[in-house]
Amino acid sequence: MTRLVEITVPEAVLARARAGDGQAQGAIYAAVAPATLTLIRRMVGQRAMSEDLFQDTMMTFYERLPQFRGEAPLGAWLRQIAISRCLMYLRSPWRRLCLSLDPADFRVGAAAAALVTQDYRGESIDLERALATLAPTARAVVWMYEVEGYSHQEIACAFGRSVSFSKSQLARAHLRLRAWLEPQENHPSCTLI
Amino acid sequence: MHPDLDRERSLARRLRELPEEAAQPYGWHEFQRRAGARARPARRLAGGRALATASVLALGIIAVWARLGGWSAQPARLAPEAAAPPAAHTAAMEHWLASLPREPAVVHVGTRAAVTGLEDRIAQVDDLLSAERLDQAHPARLLALQQARTRLVGALVQVRYAETLADESR
Repeated sequence: MTRLVEITVPEAVLARARAGDGQAQGAIYAAVAPATLTLIRRMVGQRAMSEDLFQDTMMTFYERLPQFRGEAPLGAWLRQIAISRCLMYLRSPWRRLCLSLDPADFRVGAAAAALVTQDYRGESIDLERALATLAPTARAVVWMYEVEGYSHQEIACAFGRSVSFSKSQLARAHLRLRAWLEPQENHPSCTLI
Repeated sequence: MHPDLDRERSLARRLRELPEEAAQPYGWHEFQRRAGARARPARRLAGGRALATASVLALGIIAVWARLGGWSAQPARLAPEAAAPPAAHTAAMEHWLASLPREPAVVHVGTRAAVTGLEDRIAQVDDLLSAERLDQAHPARLLALQQARTRLVGALVQVRYAETLADESR
């Protein structure tokens, strides 16, 4: 999986895109869109909402592109926009009404597991399903820490919570993921013929 | 090494090795189409906001004008040093009003009522001015009428300008 921060865009293309060249903007879109959607989908879980947030993220990205000064890689800058959009959604009062964000609440797991795409094969199916069993906040913390490389301090800051919130979310999520994955590692559920 | 630490590292590695989202995002042209579709309601909202703001402003001006004396058969006595209304400014406002279409693209009942009311008042003042000039009224009274007319034209310009902004942002 290509991470957003690993994506680089030639400086010439970037300069043209900043100046409003539609072709260059399209080329950047083609390069960054799959990784952006993947990140948002992993953070949020729901496909329809992910597409909405993806559209928001990309619109914000192009609106702010002329102000991008190249101090950080373009992918890291876009990742920051995407993560901030996801966290805004996860923290929104409307969403809190729809779904309890109590760290101990893992009841969404069963429903979320059904959302896992059917195109993955083998080990990734198990991990995808295991991730889908996590509460949205826990999933976001796991993804930010383990894959995107955020520190506990940064995660706490992004959520507006304490460092121990981030650590406890991660520890509980690890337990849950291991409980999901390990029985299947010890006792394979299918036999190859 | 501690087995728990090993397992956590293994989990992190497996997470990083997950494949990309199977469903690919829509293409650039579809993105642009959706962006355009989202921008339109936002623009419409901004136009409505501009119109509402300008309407409130115009009503405020009318209210202040009415409070300060407004239109009456006996205009307030003016201080002798009161300056004459800048005729060029009034002429420019009237020229701009004349250049506008009679009706905006979309007619709002509240705004239209304000426009009609202001136009009626301007017409009344014009009649009075004509009558007073024929009667060779006192210059101070003529000046007061002229100033009342200028204020009314100013208020009308504000409302019509707000209508223009709303039309352009639609």
